[in-house]
Formats: sequence, C-alpha cells, structure tokens
Amino acid sequence: MVEFGIEFVPRDLYWKTTFYAIQAEKIGFDYLWITDHFNNRNVYVSLTIISAYTERIKFGPGVTNPYLVHPVVTAQAVATLNEIAPGRVVCGLGVGDKTTLVMVNTEQTKPLATIQESARIIREISSGRALEMRGEIFRISGAKLNFKVTSPVPIFIGAQGPKMLALAAEIGDGVLINASHPRDVENAMKFIHEGVERAGKKPDELSISAYTSFSIASDYDKAFKSVVPVVAYIVAGSPEMILERHGISVELAGEIREAIVHDQWKEAFSYVDGNMVEAFSICGTPETCVEKIDKLVKVGVDQIVAGSPIGPNMRKSINTIATQVFPHFKK
Amino acid sequence: MALEKIARNIPASLWNEASEKLVDIVLNSPNASKMPSDLAKTILYYWQRDQLATEVGLQRLLEAAMILEPEKTVSLMEELGLPEIVAMLRETSKQ
Repeated sequence: MVEFGIEFVPRDLYWKTTFYAIQAEKIGFDYLWITDHFNNRNVYVSLTIISAYTERIKFGPGVTNPYLVHPVVTAQAVATLNEIAPGRVVCGLGVGDKTTLVMVNTEQTKPLATIQESARIIREISSGRALEMRGEIFRISGAKLNFKVTSPVPIFIGAQGPKMLALAAEIGDGVLINASHPRDVENAMKFIHEGVERAGKKPDELSISAYTSFSIASDYDKAFKSVVPVVAYIVAGSPEMILERHGISVELAGEIREAIVHDQWKEAFSYVDGNMVEAFSICGTPETCVEKIDKLVKVGVDQIVAGSPIGPNMRKSINTIATQVFPHFKK
Repeated sequence: MALEKIARNIPASLWNEASEKLVDIVLNSPNASKMPSDLAKTILYYWQRDQLATEVGLQRLLEAAMILEPEKTVSLMEELGLPEIVAMLRETSKQ
C-alpha cells in the first residue's frame, strides 16, 4: 500500500502552514515534511507548533543538511520533538539545496562522507547513546544528550546521484528520491537495491519515497503556472547527468541558477518550459497526476511526497488530492 | 461581545457554508500578516477539533475576517442573505 507525504515550505505565516498541516492530517496524509532553508521560517519551530495541533501524522525536516546545522544539533532537535510527539518524528537528511547554500558561501564538500557520518551521529545521539567518533568530517568525543529519549527516530536520506542513493539505502530507514519522473525513479532503484544488498537488509526494511514537486488543479494551465518557480529551482540545482537524461541544456540550467542567485526571478522563470515541468514535477489535472503516480508506484516507491507548490490554491489542491487522487491508491 | 452576538445570529443551517467561506477569506487575504497571533492560535485550536462551524468558531473567524478583510466579510454576509448581520458588522466596524 502506498503512503502519501506532503511538504510545506515555511515561507508563509506560521499559522497558515499549521492550518494546512491540520488539513493534511484530517484528509489522510501519512507524512508531513517541512523544508529547511536558512531564509525561510525555522524548520523546528514550524514542526513544534505543528506537533501541538496534530495527533497522528508523522513529520520531520525534509530535509535538514549537516553543512549549516551540526548533526548533534539535529539529533537534539529530533529527540526533543520525539518527546513532544512520541513515535511521530522522522528525520529527513540530505546535502541541502545548492542555491541557498551558495548564498552563505557554503559548499557541499565530501557529500558521501558527510552524510554517512551525520546519519551515524544523529542515530546514535538521538537514541540516547554516547558517541566516540573520529570521522573524516566530524570528530565526536563522548557526546550524549542530557535527557532520556523515548524511542529512536527513523532517518530518511535524500538522494539523487547513484552513490548517494546506494548509501541512503544502506544506512537509512528510508530513501527520499529527489525525483518526480518515473524514468529517474526507475534508474534510482538499481542503486537502492545495491545499498539494500550491501547492508544485508530485507527489501521491506527500507521505505522508498519519490519526493516530488507537485501541482494539481482542474485547469492544467493554472497547475503549470504554479509549479514554474519550483521547477526553476530544481533545474538550477540538478546535476548534469540528470539534466542530460531529460534533454535539458546544462548551459540553460546555469543561466537559471545565475538569475536565481541574483534575484532575477522573472528571467529565471521565463526559461522554464514544458519539458522541464514534465521532467521535474507531477503537474496537471487530477487524471494526469494519478497517471504519473501510478507509474511511480509501479517502479517500486511506497511513499509519494507531494512537494511544493501543491497547487495554485493550497487548500483547494489539498482537498483535490484527497478526493481525486487518494481513492485510486488508498482504501 | 459584539462579535459573540453577531455569531449567535448566524442560523445553524449556514454555519458550514459561512465557516468555509470565512476560512477562504482569511487564508487568501493579502493582509494576512495583520492576524493577531493569539487569534490565529485560537482558530487553529478550533480547526483541530472540527469546531470552526460552530458559534464559537464562527465568532473567531468573523473576528479574523473583519481584521483582514472587513468589506469582503460584509459582502459575504450579504451573499448569505443575512442583512441583520451586515448591519451589525457595519456598526461594529464604526466603533
């Protein structure tokens, strides 16, 4: 059975994000992910208030990165959240968003070692254990939380490239495949299976999510217009290999990135075309979205994350997902 | 007190429709930053408990909608066929 997650970017007022979180829980979403960018509202403050106004939905950062936030702080945060909402917290971890990290002069150096060590630190510390570690990136000398933890927090790792996909499958409780197109997800599954084998896991011990950009509306043009800014960011941050797989010019992606970094939004968005939207989002009418989700499920994902923008009108689009998408996949 | 009286005068048969449309007014308002935080939290409390379409929920939604979009709120009450509410809201907003 496929589960559904929803992502919110806390760029909006806290009470609006929380309102939509309550709505998402009421209509049956299983997971709620809050993005972590320095220039939006703080992820853990957002999650805390959401935890106070919800009862069932699982939630967590989608995703935090260890370049801006030391993994012991992430461990502290998720363990504290887990005390407030036991058993409902998940920790999404990844290398972060290139476009915003560049703004603070932060490079995503040694990503595999950084994620591997970060995941270990978060798992050990948030489980209440003391950690001694002399890693390539992090050195930890007997760090331990000063409070009792209730239960372990699952770690879902965001990944796109082959090595990170395999690593995520090997060390994570879940993989968040940063992709919306069935072709990319099908390609990812090869490397995920490598990681599962390397770890000696059973296939059902790993959750596999397609973490998509999503825009649903009864009017295709409105769904398209809504998703353009998000697709622009995705194109700007995508590796060359992925761009080439979808026939998207690497130079054009560079131009979009430059425009975004210099706040030239109109120019950046003007470069986004139908091919990019098709490659990097689930976008369109309910029928179109159901068709694409079906293809993703058939290639092996067990969670579909409906990432931003969700649609041209958040409240309406969440309801549309409930009434016109869920019945095809959820009992 | 005034809004409590106004909310009490909305017929129960219109509670669902009124609350849905007031929520839309509040969520879609470009003046959303004017929402007092305490009022927002109260509305979230009622939303979590499926109590927005009740007398107390409507009172809070009316309060929010009148802060963010007074004219649209009055127009909504006209659309719902509630002239007494329209008059009361106009009187309240003069004070």
